[in-house]
Amino acid sequence: MAGPMEQFEIDSKVDLFEIAGQQISWTNSAFWMVVTVAAIIGFFLLTMRGKLIPGRMQSMGELSYQFIADMVRDTVGPEAMRFLPFVFALFFFILFANLIGMNPYAFTTTSHLAVTAALSFFTIFIVIIAGIWKNGFKWFGIFAPSGLPIAIMPLIILIEIVSFVARPVTLAVRLFANMVAGHVMLKLFAIFAAYLVTKGGVTALGAVLPVVGTIGIIALEFLVAALQAFVFAILTCIYLNDVYHVDH
Amino acid sequence: MPEQNGQSDPSTSSTDLEKLEAKLAAARARHAPEDDTKGKSDGTLLGMAWRLSTELLASVLVGFMLGYGADVLFGSEPWGMLVGLGLGIAAGFMSVFRTASAMDAENADVPLGDAMPLAPDEDE
Repeated sequence: MAGPMEQFEIDSKVDLFEIAGQQISWTNSAFWMVVTVAAIIGFFLLTMRGKLIPGRMQSMGELSYQFIADMVRDTVGPEAMRFLPFVFALFFFILFANLIGMNPYAFTTTSHLAVTAALSFFTIFIVIIAGIWKNGFKWFGIFAPSGLPIAIMPLIILIEIVSFVARPVTLAVRLFANMVAGHVMLKLFAIFAAYLVTKGGVTALGAVLPVVGTIGIIALEFLVAALQAFVFAILTCIYLNDVYHVDH
Repeated sequence: MPEQNGQSDPSTSSTDLEKLEAKLAAARARHAPEDDTKGKSDGTLLGMAWRLSTELLASVLVGFMLGYGADVLFGSEPWGMLVGLGLGIAAGFMSVFRTASAMDAENADVPLGDAMPLAPDEDE
């Protein structure tokens, strides 16, 4: 029987080319990322009818736009609406990747730290670059809260820098750990049920319990899949605050 | 079944309607507020818990790694690690406090600077 961690194994289908000694391959993870993007494009092609009275699909698309637009406007402000496409893409990529990963035989791309770290570091670099672009050198003022005595200033600046560097790490680790933990738990319960059934006799009846547990975890995992996409998006918005509101 | 709806008989319709109205109001009072708050808080509570715990953990980890990196760069063996760990823990607690107080401010319906508000009914 497949172990609980085997579902996360990358298997490279085709070796493509090398960059600086690193083999670049077409893997199952890459395949499911493409599936995710195709699903998102398909979803929005279906929902972009543009009728005056929206049907069911169209209002799904419009509601999802409204949801992200409100989130950006409420947490950062109307001036940050130029980042809406970025937050929108981030939210829907993570949401669809998580939900597609819930299907049997599908691979969860967000269960790899490499993928989530790429997303979160990209986010934080956007914050840094946009912040310097907009405020110039003054942007570094976010590390030095105003109204502090000079004596403890260096210490506070160091602490602020550490907590800023920790941001992309928290973003990446949270998403990755959530997805891995959920899928491992699901697999363990399922393996336990199968194990009890193969024992036969009275123990086979006990398999009912892990099956019920599995159903519960599946429901929880769907909640987590949507919630983590939401958390990632809203934290991106909160970090974008530092681009526009330098003096806090 | 027109009679049961009370539509065919205008004389009784007003009382029927009133009864129905009362029933509807009761049903709404039973369902609406409960569903609203519960569905919302369940999701966001889970999100809050994850946010706070990962913030603390990652700050400590990052502080430690930065200190360790400084050690490797400057050859100052244990000191960078220790100082980094201290900074990381401080940064972790600071960001947790900051996030938690932001969450508090979001959730509390308290207009800042006003007199003490009445205690909420559904206190836990």
